[in-house]
Amino acid sequence: MRTDKIRNFCIIAHIDHGKSTLADRLLQMTGTISDREMTEQVLDSMDLEREKGVTIKASAVRMLYSAKDGESYELNLIDTPGHVDFNYEVSRALEACEGAVLVVDATQGIEAQTLANLYLAIDSNLTVLPVINKIDLPSARPDEVADEVGSLLGFPPEEILRISAKEGINIDQVLEAVVRHIPPPRGDENEPLTALIFDSHYDPYKGVVAYIRVMQGSIRAADTLRLMAAQTDVKPVEIGIFSPNMKPTERLTVGDVGYVATGLKTVQECRVGDTFTSAATPAKAPLPGYRHPKPMVFAGIYPVENDDYSDLKDALEKLQLNDASLVFVPEKSQALNFGFRCGFLGLFHMEIIQERLEREYDLDIIVTAPSVEYEVVTLDGAVSRIDSPAQLPDEAIIQEIREPWMNLQIFTPTEFYGTVMDLVTKRRGSYKSQEYPAPNRVQLNFEIPLSELIVDFFDDLKSRTKGYASMDYSFLEYRPGNLVRLEIMVGGEPVDALTAIVHKEDAYHKGQRLVTKLKDIIPRQQFDVAVQAASGGRIISRANVRAMRKDVLAKCYGGDITRKKKLLEKQKKGKRRMKMVGSVEIPQEAFMAVLRLEED
Amino acid sequence: MEPVAVYLHIPFCQTRCGYCDFNTYAGVQQFIPAYVDALCREIEQVAAAAPAPLAGKTVFFGGGTPSLLSSPQISQILRCLSSNLDLSGCAEISLEANPGTVDEERLAGFLEAGVNRLSLGMQSANPAELSILDRQHQPGDVQAAVAAARNAGFANISLDLIYGIPGQDMDSWLKTLRAALELLPEHLSLYCLTVEEGTPLEEQIKNGSVQKPDDDLAADLFTAALELLNQDGFERYEISNFAAKRGGLLMTCAHNLTYWRNQPYLGFGAGAHGCADKVRTANVKPIPAYLSAVTSGKAKVFPAGPAAENIHCQSDWEIIEETMMLGLRLTGEGISARGFQTRFGRSIESLFPRQIQHLTARGLVEWDGETLRLSQQGSMLGNQVFLEFVGNRPPPDFQ
Repeated sequence: MRTDKIRNFCIIAHIDHGKSTLADRLLQMTGTISDREMTEQVLDSMDLEREKGVTIKASAVRMLYSAKDGESYELNLIDTPGHVDFNYEVSRALEACEGAVLVVDATQGIEAQTLANLYLAIDSNLTVLPVINKIDLPSARPDEVADEVGSLLGFPPEEILRISAKEGINIDQVLEAVVRHIPPPRGDENEPLTALIFDSHYDPYKGVVAYIRVMQGSIRAADTLRLMAAQTDVKPVEIGIFSPNMKPTERLTVGDVGYVATGLKTVQECRVGDTFTSAATPAKAPLPGYRHPKPMVFAGIYPVENDDYSDLKDALEKLQLNDASLVFVPEKSQALNFGFRCGFLGLFHMEIIQERLEREYDLDIIVTAPSVEYEVVTLDGAVSRIDSPAQLPDEAIIQEIREPWMNLQIFTPTEFYGTVMDLVTKRRGSYKSQEYPAPNRVQLNFEIPLSELIVDFFDDLKSRTKGYASMDYSFLEYRPGNLVRLEIMVGGEPVDALTAIVHKEDAYHKGQRLVTKLKDIIPRQQFDVAVQAASGGRIISRANVRAMRKDVLAKCYGGDITRKKKLLEKQKKGKRRMKMVGSVEIPQEAFMAVLRLEED
Repeated sequence: MEPVAVYLHIPFCQTRCGYCDFNTYAGVQQFIPAYVDALCREIEQVAAAAPAPLAGKTVFFGGGTPSLLSSPQISQILRCLSSNLDLSGCAEISLEANPGTVDEERLAGFLEAGVNRLSLGMQSANPAELSILDRQHQPGDVQAAVAAARNAGFANISLDLIYGIPGQDMDSWLKTLRAALELLPEHLSLYCLTVEEGTPLEEQIKNGSVQKPDDDLAADLFTAALELLNQDGFERYEISNFAAKRGGLLMTCAHNLTYWRNQPYLGFGAGAHGCADKVRTANVKPIPAYLSAVTSGKAKVFPAGPAAENIHCQSDWEIIEETMMLGLRLTGEGISARGFQTRFGRSIESLFPRQIQHLTARGLVEWDGETLRLSQQGSMLGNQVFLEFVGNRPPPDFQ
């Protein structure tokens, strides 16, 4: 296929605006996949993705399309992850494209991620093709949304395609527009090879499969390739294209999207953003923009039963095979014994890992309250980074604690302006500026400590704005804060996993609330259990969980043993979710209680 | 086949008590004659389907209010039983009765029919508490019923008491206990009031019209009862059950012991449960459904009768777990290591080493190598013990 008959594009959208459904229709329409094979949303292969309705990992697929001009085109559709936690992966996927189909929901209009993704696409110099989806819905307002999108992009509103991916309306127009408006790839087949890795997955037989876009030159199956950032050479097991399943080919040339099966054992060795070149005739420089994504949110993950430690380790290693952003190191907690300190791109990423450990690996785990990474300056001037409150050194030698601050954009209908402002200021955020990118919509720009964002911020935002607001955030800088350690003791023993770093002004109030909460959460045990909060060497709150005196089912009525047994099994199930700390059983919720101090 | 205990469920009540979530119905007493016929038919069918002739070791009329049946009706059922099961070794035939539903003549009739143990639902000696429980009788009715039963010739009487009633204090509870002891019963059952889901009592507590019973107070009440009954010569042999001695004999309830020892029993009547030949059964609950199932249906594979809606085959491991959970309720005899070994071919320690060690360390059970039983504290925190023995996987070497 000649380069001018290739179109590389992606679909970008806010969550639930119909990106995956449109991808499905394009695959069907081009005959890439038969109706029979069509399971819904082919591109999202993980169950969790389907449930959460978002794409976690990108994928790519080649479609062949006979356009109305009589020519046959190769259309490479690159699917992008749909959540802010995966912004870097999105940006690499966009680099592999020349154009982007921007899907906007005809009932919702422009949302925060519509904008965030649009800006990313514009940064990557993509040709943006706006499409208004869900025109079949009774609440659709395509004209209004077309005006919004038109004025945002400087695009004539009447030329914006109006489709329903779900009902298959006007899908052919999307394909035609891709061919007509999105430019073919540029590049020179005779230049030294540069190929961008925009995604990868681990295959047990072929090792890490890198998803690539050839920017310059070409690859033959027999070539030895070099990863320019990792500085390793690989002899590919095979190269090929996705149609939509992996199909080996002899050659990938400039403009092509395909894969290189590397035989490498971990995705960490072959990271998204790295550049393949030829080992024999290497390019002078790698493609720009390589970045090692840094975890932002940290939490301890512990097995409920100490015996499950090695199973948990195996499971994390397996997850890491496919997830270069997941990091973990062994951690020992006095309270929870052996476990792992894990780093995540964001809270959403953390939830996915937690759920997969529980569901796919059937593990009973305790996840401690998430923390950000603090910078601690000690009196001797040394700076260290800690990602767990338990690692905080003695207060006497601390000169300063710095915490990460974020740029936060919130996009909301103007009617919620007040409540959004209130939410952010309550959480120590400060207002920077505002924009009105669409009628009745405001984008508010803030700066806010990350620690305030990771605690139910998004849920709170959603409930305050009836689900209409959306948000996006990115790292700004480290700033000093008036922060102190809040320590919790249960039964006289400090429980390191319950330690929190809080703003000094909040310490007293939060300590009291935490103790009250824990008193309710910790079930009565065989003996009295004291729950105390301490900060700055002082006990600031104390409560007592009184000993349980009676716990026995009364009557064995008429020989109905089944019912009794069921009650006991239910009680036992509850116990399984608890962790023995010393001689006290502490439920999982207790470790998350520190997060929910502002509620009720 | 070893002799079985026979449970007969009589689901009729004059009114339904607010705390009760048993399978009972008020205001449908017109069904009693048909129900008695159906019971007989169910007994015949199950006996006919049994792989070998059946023998009964105890019979228990439970409810509901079995004393709403006339003595000819009780007699009809017992005659049917004895023509279908060998009752020659049956030493105990119990009947639950509500004070206020029985007089001497009726009781004499029951005795005549074969009933030899009477279990009276006394519950409380405090009129206000009886009213909270929706019980229809007055404290005086209990004395009258016991006197009538003694006159009629009953030598084995048990009284049920409830503690932890909203508003009940120590004083009132001790009065109830003393009133019960004055009647010189052979047996006492002390049940803690449980607020069951979906009962009117639960609703009253939710809406605040009735005060929620306090667990700690209930513990105090029970502890006081232990002391008082002990002084009075009663022996606690199960978590909630106490027996007096008569002629050197402990007057335990042989029928209920069958459940706790996890031995076979057959259940007849609406919603009745049975367990024999490694099968647990439960009958349909509503009276009309039961009547039509028995009238039109056929007995299924023994022990499931025509009205069985749940039939569960037990694995050997389940039987072992249930034997532990039930046997540990027997605060006196506990679980005998030798008996366990004989029955299952494995020792308790080899199957539950972790549990025994853990619970002994917590002071909840006592284990001397021969008997495993609840400690004093364990008998107050029985669930903490039982749940260690349910829902486990069998050890790898268990087949």
